Amino acid sequence: MRLNFFGGIAAVVIVAALIVAYSSLFTVYQTQQALVIRLGQPVRVVNEPGLNLKAPFIDSVVYIDKRILDLEAPSQEVIASDQKRLVVDAFARYRINDALRFYQTLGSIAGANSQLSILLNSALRRVLGEVTFSHVVRDQRADLMARIRELVDKEATSYGVQVVDVRIRRADLPEQNSQAVYQRMQTERQREAAEFRAQGAQRAQEIRSRADREVTVLVAEATSKSEQIRGEGDATRNQIFAEAFNQDPDFFAFYRSMQAYEHGLKANDTRLLLKPDSNFFRYFTDPSGKVKDSSPPPAGR
Amino acid sequence: MPWTNQGGGGPWGSGGKGPWGSGPQAPGPTPPDLEEILRRGQDRLRRVLPGGNLGGRGFALIALGVLALWGFSGFFRVEPDELGVVLRFGKEVREVQPGLNYHLPFPVETVLTPKALRVNKIDIGMRIVDDIRRGGTTTRDVPEESLMLTGDENIVDVDFSVLWKVKPTGVGEFLFNIQNPEGTVKAVAESAMREVIGRSEIQPILTGARQTIETAVQDLMQRTLDHYGAGVIVQQVQLQKVDPPAQVIDAFRDVQAARADLERAVNEAQTYANRVVPEARGRVAQITQAAEAYKQQTVAEATGQTSRFLKIYEQYKKAPVVTRERMYLETMERVLGGTDKIILDSGSGGSGVVPYLPLNELTRPQQQGRSQGSTGGRP
Repeated sequence: MRLNFFGGIAAVVIVAALIVAYSSLFTVYQTQQALVIRLGQPVRVVNEPGLNLKAPFIDSVVYIDKRILDLEAPSQEVIASDQKRLVVDAFARYRINDALRFYQTLGSIAGANSQLSILLNSALRRVLGEVTFSHVVRDQRADLMARIRELVDKEATSYGVQVVDVRIRRADLPEQNSQAVYQRMQTERQREAAEFRAQGAQRAQEIRSRADREVTVLVAEATSKSEQIRGEGDATRNQIFAEAFNQDPDFFAFYRSMQAYEHGLKANDTRLLLKPDSNFFRYFTDPSGKVKDSSPPPAGR
Repeated sequence: MPWTNQGGGGPWGSGGKGPWGSGPQAPGPTPPDLEEILRRGQDRLRRVLPGGNLGGRGFALIALGVLALWGFSGFFRVEPDELGVVLRFGKEVREVQPGLNYHLPFPVETVLTPKALRVNKIDIGMRIVDDIRRGGTTTRDVPEESLMLTGDENIVDVDFSVLWKVKPTGVGEFLFNIQNPEGTVKAVAESAMREVIGRSEIQPILTGARQTIETAVQDLMQRTLDHYGAGVIVQQVQLQKVDPPAQVIDAFRDVQAARADLERAVNEAQTYANRVVPEARGRVAQITQAAEAYKQQTVAEATGQTSRFLKIYEQYKKAPVVTRERMYLETMERVLGGTDKIILDSGSGGSGVVPYLPLNELTRPQQQGRSQGSTGGRP
């Protein structure tokens, strides 16, 4: 009995000690910060992870995320300073760096997201509305993102939130403007294609003409040279003849005449009317060969 | 960790069976020798209990057993592609490598085992979906992710993949610094790609600048993620498909075709030139050779004729009168031998041939046998 009694007392004491320990100890995880609230009044913020003490029963603990949190803003249409429309889709990354203020002003991450969305959207419109379309897309995207971040961050400080980064994910044209861009791209390509084809025709024509010219020149030069060669041949011929025939022009005349008669008076198409008193016929009428007329026989048709 | 709860409750009043009567369900990742230990513990209990004395010895033994089990619940396994991060009261204390490891049991230490050694892949601009008909996978385009503006206000369709993994030294950062690492990597990738594409012109994007773009996006992503302290390393950015948008791709292809047409036209012309010019050179050779031939022929003929003449002349010089006469007669013989001839004696008056005209009638029988043409052409 005594043993049981003492055992019972010991058990009660142990249980009571455990309950007190449980309610006076709390764990802060690596990803969290903790806000200790005593009867509705915030007393301290625990930033370091680990095991911590609080007053049992009267203190309560609110855990708040310490990590970098996502904020996705829905895409919205922005009008740039040159009146061009853009569909912009941005996101932000933020961190709760003042747990108390955060808890007091926003309370939860969902609340923070909706509040920061509004801030982000207005900053986006304000900053992008001041610059031109091409600045947003091409030239100053990084600068603009930094400016939006600064704007949002400044306002978010009052909520105990630090905006780590704002990035424009998409900055695209609205659908109807995209169609116009497609048409422009298409016509540009068509122009380019036509240009290529025309260039091809031009270069082909150039090559052909150059070839034709070369052909003509080659042939002309060859003809000229050929005439020269032929002339040389003729000249040599004349020289040879002259040298030979000059030895006895009289005999040459005779010899050549004989040849000419023979070749010139062909058997089948020549008819001769001869007088028997020509030199050839001098024996024809007179056996002594006395010539009546010294002229050679005339030829005729 | 039911052991700790039951240790406070004290179910051992209901006899020796206790919680381990309901079977040794090992908590968490169980080392294989735990069952044996349990059985030994039960045996010991049974040896004590038959005495019926639930005294201090028995109580101590039970408490010891509970403690031992609690202690053993700290064993855990880390898979080959994981790393273990041990937290003591929520605070990161150490990292452990794959294999069997131990941490202090539950309320004191816990462990997280992210797949920190695995290389993750994120596809942007497309989704890989299962294709049931073919049994494999196909990619589905996601135009709202893949269509983006270029610096010269064109639109280009870009699909790409990002390979990333947890930094070898940054498991803690990866786990504790950032709410949604995967989503963040994707969002940063999209933003970086659009920023880089927005700075470039469409033509290099479509043709040569893939490598440059990949590197630029990777650098930008890495800088941004490091700024977040995300503990992520971007291993590679791979551009998959870089095309003009579907609406205009035909026009772009036509440009390629036109480029080919240009090449073709030039090649055809070159072919023509390559054919025509050598042909002309051939003709040149022909013309020149013909001229040479004419020259040589002419000279040769002339030489031949003169040498014949000179030979004859040589002989002629020896006996000019006789030779001349002989040559004359021989020639006339040959000339007159083959021709028609009419001999008129001019001595019978000065009227000449007139009385005999027309001469045609005289020779008609012969002419008919030879040539019709020569009579027909006569007036």
